[in-house]
Amino acid sequence: MSNNDILDMYIYETNTLLEQLESIVLDAEKENTFSQDNVNEIFRIMHTIKGSSAMMEFDTLARVSHRIEDMFFLIREGTMSVVKDEDRPALFDVMLHSVDYFREEMEKVEAEQPLNEDVDSFLGNINSLIAKIKGEEIPAEPAPKADAAPAPVPEAAPAAPAPAQTSEGSADFPYGLRVFFDEGCGMENLRAFMLVTSVQGFCADADFTYQPAGVETDSALSEVVIEHGFLLQFRSEADRARAVPIVMTAGSVHSYEEQNYVPAPPPPPAEPAPAAHEAAPAAQKAPSAAPAAQSGAQQHQQGQGQKESLISVGLSKLDQLSAIVGEIVITEAMVTGSPDLKGLHLDAFSKSARQLRKLTDELQDVSMSLRMIPVSNTFQKMNRIVRDMCKKLNKQVKLTLVGENTEVDKTIVDSIGDPIMHMVRNSMDHGIEENAEDRIAAGKDPVGEILLSAQDTGSEVIIQISDDGAGVNDEAVLAKAIRNGIASPDVEYSHKEILNFLMAPGFSTNAQVTEFSGRGVGMDVVKSGVESLGGSVSITSEQGKGMTTIMRIPLTMAIMDGMEVSVGDSIFTIPINNIRSSIKTTEAAILHDSVNGEMVKMLDGYYPVIRARDFYNLPGGAEKIDDGILMWLESGDCSYCLFVDELLGEQQIVVKPLPAYVNNFDIKSCGITGCSILGDGNISIILDAGDLYKATRG
Amino acid sequence: MSNENVLFQVEEDEIENAVPEDEGAGSRKHLIFTVDDLKIGIDANQVVEILNVYNATYLPMMPDYIQGIFNMRGQIIPIMDIRLRLGKPPAEERILIVIDYNNNQLGIQVDSVDLMLDIPLESIVPIPSQSPQKLVSGMCTLPDGSGTMLVLDCEQLIAHGYGD
Repeated sequence: MSNNDILDMYIYETNTLLEQLESIVLDAEKENTFSQDNVNEIFRIMHTIKGSSAMMEFDTLARVSHRIEDMFFLIREGTMSVVKDEDRPALFDVMLHSVDYFREEMEKVEAEQPLNEDVDSFLGNINSLIAKIKGEEIPAEPAPKADAAPAPVPEAAPAAPAPAQTSEGSADFPYGLRVFFDEGCGMENLRAFMLVTSVQGFCADADFTYQPAGVETDSALSEVVIEHGFLLQFRSEADRARAVPIVMTAGSVHSYEEQNYVPAPPPPPAEPAPAAHEAAPAAQKAPSAAPAAQSGAQQHQQGQGQKESLISVGLSKLDQLSAIVGEIVITEAMVTGSPDLKGLHLDAFSKSARQLRKLTDELQDVSMSLRMIPVSNTFQKMNRIVRDMCKKLNKQVKLTLVGENTEVDKTIVDSIGDPIMHMVRNSMDHGIEENAEDRIAAGKDPVGEILLSAQDTGSEVIIQISDDGAGVNDEAVLAKAIRNGIASPDVEYSHKEILNFLMAPGFSTNAQVTEFSGRGVGMDVVKSGVESLGGSVSITSEQGKGMTTIMRIPLTMAIMDGMEVSVGDSIFTIPINNIRSSIKTTEAAILHDSVNGEMVKMLDGYYPVIRARDFYNLPGGAEKIDDGILMWLESGDCSYCLFVDELLGEQQIVVKPLPAYVNNFDIKSCGITGCSILGDGNISIILDAGDLYKATRG
Repeated sequence: MSNENVLFQVEEDEIENAVPEDEGAGSRKHLIFTVDDLKIGIDANQVVEILNVYNATYLPMMPDYIQGIFNMRGQIIPIMDIRLRLGKPPAEERILIVIDYNNNQLGIQVDSVDLMLDIPLESIVPIPSQSPQKLVSGMCTLPDGSGTMLVLDCEQLIAHGYGD
């Protein structure tokens, strides 16, 4: 998995999301309002763009999407009514403008050009809109002219508020850390001073400074802190790095950003430098240089010709293709096995027919594999997320991947990407303990572990994400659920019910909103994503030991290896991984137990015998054990022998679900999970070894 | 087999003839088939296909009126013997009508397919409540006076998997 594949994925995904966003905005503009569903959808789109952009280290994109997300957070909380009628056109403009902006940037990313770093005027527009939504006074209406005048735009041009002071202090203290507090948390000046005290714990007074000064005593400075954030400036980068975790753990911190003083701003090439850009030189952030350098490096490695590596084809075309290939295979069998050919000796014909058979087999293999892709791409993306989050959150975590070669249908891979990403982030952010000391105290390895595994059981894919972190604090979750109105305070909830609150929309236990998580979109995205595939999500957690999320997704269009067996006229397929062996034996080897059951002795023990013919009341089939064959099956903890007539052979099959009408009769619990169309057009029934055994015992 | 082909010929003619008559909003084309001397009609919009050759695969653990499933161009469709469903004795020589009701597809085995007719909707009257009928939502006298037709209730037919 090269960086380039990740980049291609990112571009493709983002462009898809942008298309979706644009159509939502365009439709909403006609209605002159966003429905709550739209707002949620935009919120999620922005959340995803923010996350993946941050992962790719496109910080400007992450910043812009973060602000838009903030804006829709407000709208989501207060519904569309918080946006006054006269502001709505501006809102739609900003949204469409942002779609254009992201598209432009995506093109640059694709062409490996440096991104536009000057987003301040655009952020200014968003910020003034946010201010309007909040119903705040806009300071002297400077926002629309922000790009022309050096007038400060809150948060967007962070160094601007006191340029004189900044340049004065910055030469000595070049490493800045600007902290913003939660809105309306109160006593911002004292909160800021508490940060100062914490920083003094490890950093000498002479090595850092802060603005505005005098926060300890002057409560009027709260306003300044609210408006422009609280700026800590350090002499050394290491000190700042140590301050970051302190800032993060401090209460009511909304967000923070690192900013470096750049003495002489190099004029950006290929860009007209507007006045505002030069007025805010300190806004230039250190990491922003990274993507350019990185993409440059990639260019060297990869050279040209990478554009052809991916082509997107509509799934409907693929379906059409596999349907036609299926027909071709059947027709081929009909032609070469035609009764008219009986008794004729056609050497040339049979030679060509063999060749045709070989080709159609290959064609079938290829067409079947088209839709199947390994989950490794999705899994590998998580490496990057864990690595980046480790750095940002200052945690030590290793990611272990298991079963990344498991192949699943393309639609499934597409839909599990987001849920997995959210779960890994959740584990990083909330699961793994803040400090290595806490882990050592709990008797754990100081390096946390996140395990991501995929497993194909033959009937479903099981994706498991587990961490060995602190686990879920039931009381905290319940308290939060009650506060959010999801739970009722008068009801006693079980451990399991409490865990389910985590998946309710709008739930988040993390008090602070970070770049990664904390708004409670994560878990409900996971749940809705998996459920749209017909799967299920379950959470298990033990406090102090960690949390495990298991997603079970049915293999609707999946291919599996199965053994075909016949019983009378019926053909059944048993998943190969359930089969331990097959045994030909005699009636004499069958033992009877007290309740008329049958058993057979194999290697190390006695195993029950189930006769498929009797259990399923099949019209035909062998009666004597001597005439058939025993299939020794294992699934989970059950192990038994299924008596069938004949082994027909191993085959790769496409699993098809049974018709909904048939499923009404609950035959799944009798071990019938699906069916498959055989090469000759007949149908074989797929058995689930575990369910079949349970049904005979039940 | 050959007389069935003739039958389809007839039916196709009926379809062509029926098209211009469909102008009136108050009538619907119905496909009329026979089951044990009963004439039953079904809204032609719900008919996907009529087959006389199909290969049913026996599906265990199902009620006896489900004859199995079959493969129609890659789609798996259950087959119901409407005779058994109505509690009538089984018979040989069956024709399969594949219906689609709200994206639920079901093949129903009938004795024979008769013709396609335009039935004015107002001529369909409800079944007298004192004689409850299985799977029938209404009845009407055929316009040509050849008898009475029962209207098949597809919703009940498909939904009834749960109860029995």
